[in-house]
Amino acid sequence: MVSNAVSTQSLSKRYGRVLALDGLDLSVPRGEVFGFLGPNGAGKSTTIRLLLGLARPTSGRASVFGDDARDVALTHRRLAYVPADVALWSQLTGAEILELLARTGPGTDRPYRDELVRRFELDLSKPGRAYSTGNRQKVALVAAFATRAPLLVLDEPTSGLDPLMERAFRHAVHEARDHGQTVFLSSHQLAEVEAVCDRVAILRAGRLVDVAAVTELRRLHRTEVTVSFAGTPPDLSRVPAAEAVEVTGPASLRFTLTGPPGPALEALAAADVTSLAVREPSLEEIFLGYYGGTPQ
Amino acid sequence: MTPASARVGPVPYDQAPWRAVTALAWRQVRRGALVVTALTAAMSATAVAAHRSAVQDLEDAAALEALAGNPAIRTLFGEPVSLDDPGGFAVWRTGTALAVVLSVWGLLAATRIIRGEEDAGRWEVLLAGRVPVTTVVARHVTVLVAAQVLAGAAAFAGLAAMGAAAAGAAVHGAGLALCGIFFTAVGALTAQVFATRSAATGAAVAAFGASMLAKMVADGLPALGWLHWLSPFGLTALSRPYGGASLWPLLLLAAAGLAVAVTAAAASGRRDIRGGYLSPPSGRAPRLRLLGSVQAFAVRRTLRPLAAWSAGIGAYYLLIGVLTLSMTAFLTDNPRFAELAAQAGFAGLGTVHGYTATLFALLAVPAGAFAAVRLAALAADEADRRLTLLFAQPVTRTRVLVAETAAVCGGLVVLVTVAGLATWVGTEAVGADLGLLAALHGAWNVLPIALLCLGAGALALGWAPRAVAFIGSLPAAGGFLLKVIADSAGLPAWVALLSPFAHLAAVPDAPAHGQASLLMTAGAVLAATAGLVGYRLRDLHL
Repeated sequence: MVSNAVSTQSLSKRYGRVLALDGLDLSVPRGEVFGFLGPNGAGKSTTIRLLLGLARPTSGRASVFGDDARDVALTHRRLAYVPADVALWSQLTGAEILELLARTGPGTDRPYRDELVRRFELDLSKPGRAYSTGNRQKVALVAAFATRAPLLVLDEPTSGLDPLMERAFRHAVHEARDHGQTVFLSSHQLAEVEAVCDRVAILRAGRLVDVAAVTELRRLHRTEVTVSFAGTPPDLSRVPAAEAVEVTGPASLRFTLTGPPGPALEALAAADVTSLAVREPSLEEIFLGYYGGTPQ
Repeated sequence: MTPASARVGPVPYDQAPWRAVTALAWRQVRRGALVVTALTAAMSATAVAAHRSAVQDLEDAAALEALAGNPAIRTLFGEPVSLDDPGGFAVWRTGTALAVVLSVWGLLAATRIIRGEEDAGRWEVLLAGRVPVTTVVARHVTVLVAAQVLAGAAAFAGLAAMGAAAAGAAVHGAGLALCGIFFTAVGALTAQVFATRSAATGAAVAAFGASMLAKMVADGLPALGWLHWLSPFGLTALSRPYGGASLWPLLLLAAAGLAVAVTAAAASGRRDIRGGYLSPPSGRAPRLRLLGSVQAFAVRRTLRPLAAWSAGIGAYYLLIGVLTLSMTAFLTDNPRFAELAAQAGFAGLGTVHGYTATLFALLAVPAGAFAAVRLAALAADEADRRLTLLFAQPVTRTRVLVAETAAVCGGLVVLVTVAGLATWVGTEAVGADLGLLAALHGAWNVLPIALLCLGAGALALGWAPRAVAFIGSLPAAGGFLLKVIADSAGLPAWVALLSPFAHLAAVPDAPAHGQASLLMTAGAVLAATAGLVGYRLRDLHL
């Protein structure tokens, strides 16, 4: 049996009176780009700390490629990590930090590292204290991607990056996927998760709310259809899939559609439609739906 | 619409904003301030109490005065003034030690809460508020000055409560507080000059070391007595609390402290936040030595602090070596004093070997502090998340801790060897008969106590990572104070025996206690192993 890249069984973590993580069951197959979503304090970083063996589970088990996450000498040979808040030694320059991480880490593809340094436009001669938040993140990203490790654990890796650097980041994630690597990406950036992830887990208050493929998640939700027409208004009352029909003008209306669109399209065909707009809900709207917020 | 919501713009908070800054500063120093105050009161009081027994041991007070005239004793405790008076005796016995404690605490606290907080990025939010940076710095310095005044008052209370004359106690308390205030101000100033906490602390400690050396030279060599006027410790000594008190040196010291403090606050307004007047270069070529493994990296991180500690300790012991000349000359003229010294408990101080042995015992305190501070730096690297990237590597915690303790062990050996060599060079320069091997043996003899500090620090790292520096310093600094207090206050013998110093042989004057050294080393290994167990089991605070 080929073990999953990441798996947790009833993983729980308690900090004093706070139950940070409550019986998490998760599995990420090899080669997948897996998004890990949730509001602040949901337990995302706690999960990652347990996966990396930096904290000990109160109960349950976390494993990486089938090995217990606590055996870091073994599991860390097959993973690389980018923390949410990268802190560097203030005296070491970027080049020295990359050298330290390359020589103590799971191995490094040096030509690829040089390529990444170029793409992320990273100045390696500066000492750690002189780097901005984004540049510290870039140092950690370059070090992690350059390992070509089978598993990349990325904890909100782009929170300090500008849009151009975010594109470089997505490109590197795609390369990792093409390379057969697994990516475990914790993020607040829904557009980023939507752009790079295959599947998404949503965590709330230490519990898993849902795990779904990005496409599947969207399909769970209604499509919004806006129609303008020249002829008589279409009769949608006998189309069960069309709901919340709203007349927005003398020759336009809006409704939401669930399930196959065939019957609704038949009803529209008679109305001499002049324009039709179909809008997929963004992951953000789905995400906010889970937490009871309203999309902007 | 309610009147409150009709209001445009922020609603001012009623309380004056600088009060919040003062409260912030006090919260960060209150624990240390209270410990230092309690220590000052306790040491002053016990020294007065010890006066009676110390005088009884000797034939008369004049003999005590003659003994204290020994340059070796003067180097250790300063120039004795009015030893027949309980207050004078207490000032002589504890004055220098307390001045050192207050000064070191003051400068470390100043660089920690001023540059350390700014360097960690915590001042940006603070300075985005209504309080300008000069006020923030001034408030922090004021709080530290108040803590020093409190400690000075504690010295006064400790002396006066035990029956020493109040006027002298007031002068002594003022001298201690002003000495502490001066170095607090120096710490605040170096915190403006340098952009990192470590550089600011290093510069302040260097100023402290130079002042201490100047005072010791002035005490040991009468020809250079004028050096007293250049050192805060010297000025404090010149005030002579129980020998016809003189206020001029204290006024000079107060003016100097005030000038430095005002300069620090003013200087803070003319620089960038997170910057200093001396900022490190923004770029350089990589130096890839000692980055190949966790062990190599541990050595790399130890080297720079080791060089600084070696320079300071080496300079001190070079002076100790050089001063043996004045002592030898003194003993040639007054052969009776070796005998008197032995009676007062300073056995063997009358010879070169005895003198160096007494001073080598002192070496355990800075060596132990070095070990504790290095492990505290590892705890800080963890708390500040610098270790996160390293712990994400295929590196076990055992390997990280073993690498660090091994590097510190090596550092300790280097440090005490430097002290031994420096002493030997000093004695050779003045033609005193010590010998290289005797000097090295004397220095190496304190290694077990330093290792106890390392073990205690590792134990704390595993089970109480916030208290590494404190617990790590206990065997050496705590043990030293315990022995001094137990001896001078006449506590039961078993109390003094708790101190590792009670089991330290006076090498090179006497052969080493092999068994005691072995037991201490075994204790250190046990403590470190227990620490390792805790370190492996606990969550990392990353």
